[in-house]
Amino acid sequence: MIEVKNISQSYGKNAGETLTNISLTVREKTITALVGANGAGKSTLLSVMTNLLPAKKGSVSINGTDVRKIKTAQVARQIAFLKQTHQLSIKITVQDLVEYGRFPHCGGRLKDADHEKVAECIKYMDLGDLAEKYLDEISGGQRQRAFIAMILAQDTPYIFLDEPLNNLDIKYSVEMMKIVQKLVEQLGKTIVVVLHDINFAAAYAGHIVAMKDGRIYKEGTPAEVITPEVLNPVFDHNFHIADHDGKKVCLYYDDNAAGE
Amino acid sequence: MVARLVKPRNIRIMAVLTLLLALIAGATVLYIYSRTYANANRLGLTMHPAAFESIMARIRPAMMSMIAASAVLAVVSLSFQTIVRSRVLTPSMIGFDSIFVGTQTVLVFVFGAYSVWFQNPYVNYAITAGVMILTSFLMFSFILRSSKNNVIFLLMFGLVLSGIVGSGTRYLQVIMNQSEFFHVQAATMVNVNNINTNIANIAFPIMAIVVGAILWRHRRLDVMALGPDQAKGLGIPYERELRIHLILIAVGMSVATALIGSLTFLGLLAVNAAREVLKTHKHLPLFFGSSLMAILTLVAGQAVMELLQGAVPVTVIINLVGCTYIFYLVLKENKT
Repeated sequence: MIEVKNISQSYGKNAGETLTNISLTVREKTITALVGANGAGKSTLLSVMTNLLPAKKGSVSINGTDVRKIKTAQVARQIAFLKQTHQLSIKITVQDLVEYGRFPHCGGRLKDADHEKVAECIKYMDLGDLAEKYLDEISGGQRQRAFIAMILAQDTPYIFLDEPLNNLDIKYSVEMMKIVQKLVEQLGKTIVVVLHDINFAAAYAGHIVAMKDGRIYKEGTPAEVITPEVLNPVFDHNFHIADHDGKKVCLYYDDNAAGE
Repeated sequence: MVARLVKPRNIRIMAVLTLLLALIAGATVLYIYSRTYANANRLGLTMHPAAFESIMARIRPAMMSMIAASAVLAVVSLSFQTIVRSRVLTPSMIGFDSIFVGTQTVLVFVFGAYSVWFQNPYVNYAITAGVMILTSFLMFSFILRSSKNNVIFLLMFGLVLSGIVGSGTRYLQVIMNQSEFFHVQAATMVNVNNINTNIANIAFPIMAIVVGAILWRHRRLDVMALGPDQAKGLGIPYERELRIHLILIAVGMSVATALIGSLTFLGLLAVNAAREVLKTHKHLPLFFGSSLMAILTLVAGQAVMELLQGAVPVTVIINLVGCTYIFYLVLKENKT
């Protein structure tokens, strides 16, 4: 269980707080979506939760232990994350990348069990034909899948994704969210994902955390969060919510759509 | 295990390393020839076995120093390139060499050429290494401070620093007396024919430790090459590893420079040439490849210098090849 308690975070001494007094308990075996306007602190919160940024005030705990008291290698067996920008400066193949995912378990010395796990993850992400390709030779969607395969090879109960749909077109975005859904349903993973597109959160998330100005404005099920009362102030924009096959769809292209 | 070794990639690496070893053997023969039979022929003498033996007795420590120092330079350059994530930077290029020369000059200028501070290899080495470690931490606090890509800033800082230290050094060298100046020059110029055995005694163990410690971390370096965030995500205590590497790099640079002098381009040349021919991102083969490449370059360069009777210093030969290669690299990177 990952618990965040009273996190406050600021960059630099004179800068304002990017996160203010955030407390959050991550729902197990669910997709939790972090949504909010640019600069609301979604990515910062994700970085703090994954211990990439040490918390300045407050604490993050995994199964009751403060994450700062756990060795980095140990944390890497609990939490896997994918950052927004994961451009690599080195030329490696999909196979190599996925093999790196085993590093927290084997320290780079892959045993038979690790090779099996790597093969399994490559197969699971449907990358069999691409395994020997270099990362810069494949499409953005395939590359994203390769990184997810690496994270799967890391074999952690918790997965954090920072805007995984960035730079993906609609087809690949839907494919990616379907994969994320599959990870929860088939493999029982707990996933926290920062999403830019509110409709993807409405369609796939089991729990939505809406953030505004470094605070949690509202959290709850999509039915509770996807309402004009919550979203209008969070995004500082007028929303019109439509129902489609029992899912909520946000229409926000016309400012005057609100109040209908 | 066996199946993995016979993968095409690994066969290529083995082939390249074997070829490099063969070339080094050739260069060694050429170097020995240049110091013995070439000189004898030039003077119209026949090479007496006893004379050959006595020259060989001087060649052996020279060879050992060249091999050890070039291997250290190559290994620390590769580790440096990985932690600053740039293929075109080496510790020498951001001013490590000039700090070494500057420290030697100041020691002679302040305490005199015959003082214990300059003459005692242990004291001298401790001071030089200390100054270099301090400077590297000062420089890298900029990288550590933010997660942004600060390579450009580091390069600028290094250039300015080496400019300041370099001109300060030159000023001191101009106003010091001539015999002191020769002492400084002897301590800083590349010269393998008169290895200071006192330095060698402490240099070899330190070099072995530095190379061993970096090689031992090769798997962690592989992951660190993915970038700080990915490395942390995969369980590398990144900041701690960074600091360990900085100390090892500073120690390795100072001891290699103290042993044979300042070789600015050797590390860059060796590491990039090794990357080019090995076509791998794994650090273990790259460490061996770039070390062999550096040894080959230095021994071959030294042999050519001997054959030309010292008309062209070995640094000039290496810089000529090194600079041309950097031009090629820059032009190539621009294209892609």
